[in-house]
Amino acid sequence: MAVDQDWSSVYPTAAAFKPASVPLPIRMGYPVKRGVPPPKEGNLELIKIPNFLHLTPPAIKKHCAALKDFCTEWPSALDSDEKCEQHFPIEVETVDYVSSGTSIRNPKARVVTLRVKLSNLNLDDHAKKKLIKLVGDRYCQETDVLTITTDRCPLRRQNYDYGMHLLTVLYHESWKTEKWESEKSEEDMEEYIWENSRSQKNALDTLLRIKASENVSNVTKEELLASEVVKNYRNSVIALKNEGETESNMSQYKESVKKLLNIQA
Amino acid sequence: MAAAARALRVLPRALRVPSATRQLHSSPVCLKARAARVRAGRGDKAVTYEQAHAPHHIGHRKGWLSLHTGNLCGEAGAAQRAIEDAFLRRFLAGTFPGLLADELVLKRRGNLLVVCALLGRALPPHKLYFLLGYAETLLGNFYKCPVRLELQTVPARVPYKYL
Repeated sequence: MAVDQDWSSVYPTAAAFKPASVPLPIRMGYPVKRGVPPPKEGNLELIKIPNFLHLTPPAIKKHCAALKDFCTEWPSALDSDEKCEQHFPIEVETVDYVSSGTSIRNPKARVVTLRVKLSNLNLDDHAKKKLIKLVGDRYCQETDVLTITTDRCPLRRQNYDYGMHLLTVLYHESWKTEKWESEKSEEDMEEYIWENSRSQKNALDTLLRIKASENVSNVTKEELLASEVVKNYRNSVIALKNEGETESNMSQYKESVKKLLNIQA
Repeated sequence: MAAAARALRVLPRALRVPSATRQLHSSPVCLKARAARVRAGRGDKAVTYEQAHAPHHIGHRKGWLSLHTGNLCGEAGAAQRAIEDAFLRRFLAGTFPGLLADELVLKRRGNLLVVCALLGRALPPHKLYFLLGYAETLLGNFYKCPVRLELQTVPARVPYKYL
């Protein structure tokens, strides 16, 4: 072979190894005892393996140059992840499967996954809590992402339509308030609310009894609720219940209880 | 024996089976330990690299003669590819009688079926080209997929060892 011959014309596409065309002294195989691996002429092992003789760097450059005419630029307005999320909040994920054989059908290809951040949806407090209760496991608290995976229809387009329909229905249903939602009890609450809780009742009862024993003129509940000590106590109890027990939370609770019951040291 | 015969005569006609005997069927013997192995002889039998290595050397000293995605985890179609392989080997062994220097190598790239064959030089080139076109057209029409035959000729079968 001439030294300046164009290699991409010897191997323009993927082809089996041709010993006469490849000018390299390659040997392949397990050597015979006290011998060398078999030479490349008539070597079936070299033909069996896939080779990349058609993908040398100059050949790939030529491919890229030919494909450039069919490419379009990335839109310059979408130059950051935040802008992409702002304009396209819903991410749709589908998988295509390639295999060798006479059939292109693969039942795994019909699965569609929709991902959307709840902060991008227009939801008020009640709607967001209702939506999270409706979807259950599909919502991730840390990343604020709702993931809907559909595969119940035989075609990908049908699964995509069903996923979008589910999202629409969830959104509209979470804005509605049903009659039976007023029966929401303390066990159903997502976070701790101090108003009308046992803690509030106990604190007010204790303070009223303290005031009565000191024979102070009748202080009303509203005045007690508005006072500084009760507000401190309320904040510390809410922090403990919602965030769990930490050093700072516990010390804050201790201080507020000491102030409430007027205990020094 | 006589008691059984008397019992059979006493049975109502409907219950008498015409030939109530038992047979034994046996298939030809195919021992796993003797599969695809050329037995050592006097030292005058030339064997190719493919024949010299036993099946337990596949993956260690031998590659695979047929490459497709059917045997991967979660992929379908392994059985269909196996049947196609078996048919292709017989068909091409008949199309190039006595010319095949070694086993066929089958490669599938998506829809395309590539058959790599190592032939001897007994036929003139124009006959080889005719058989190439004949095989490609017939197989393409039969399997409804593009078939490409890549032929190479060697002067004689390449011996690896003499057993």
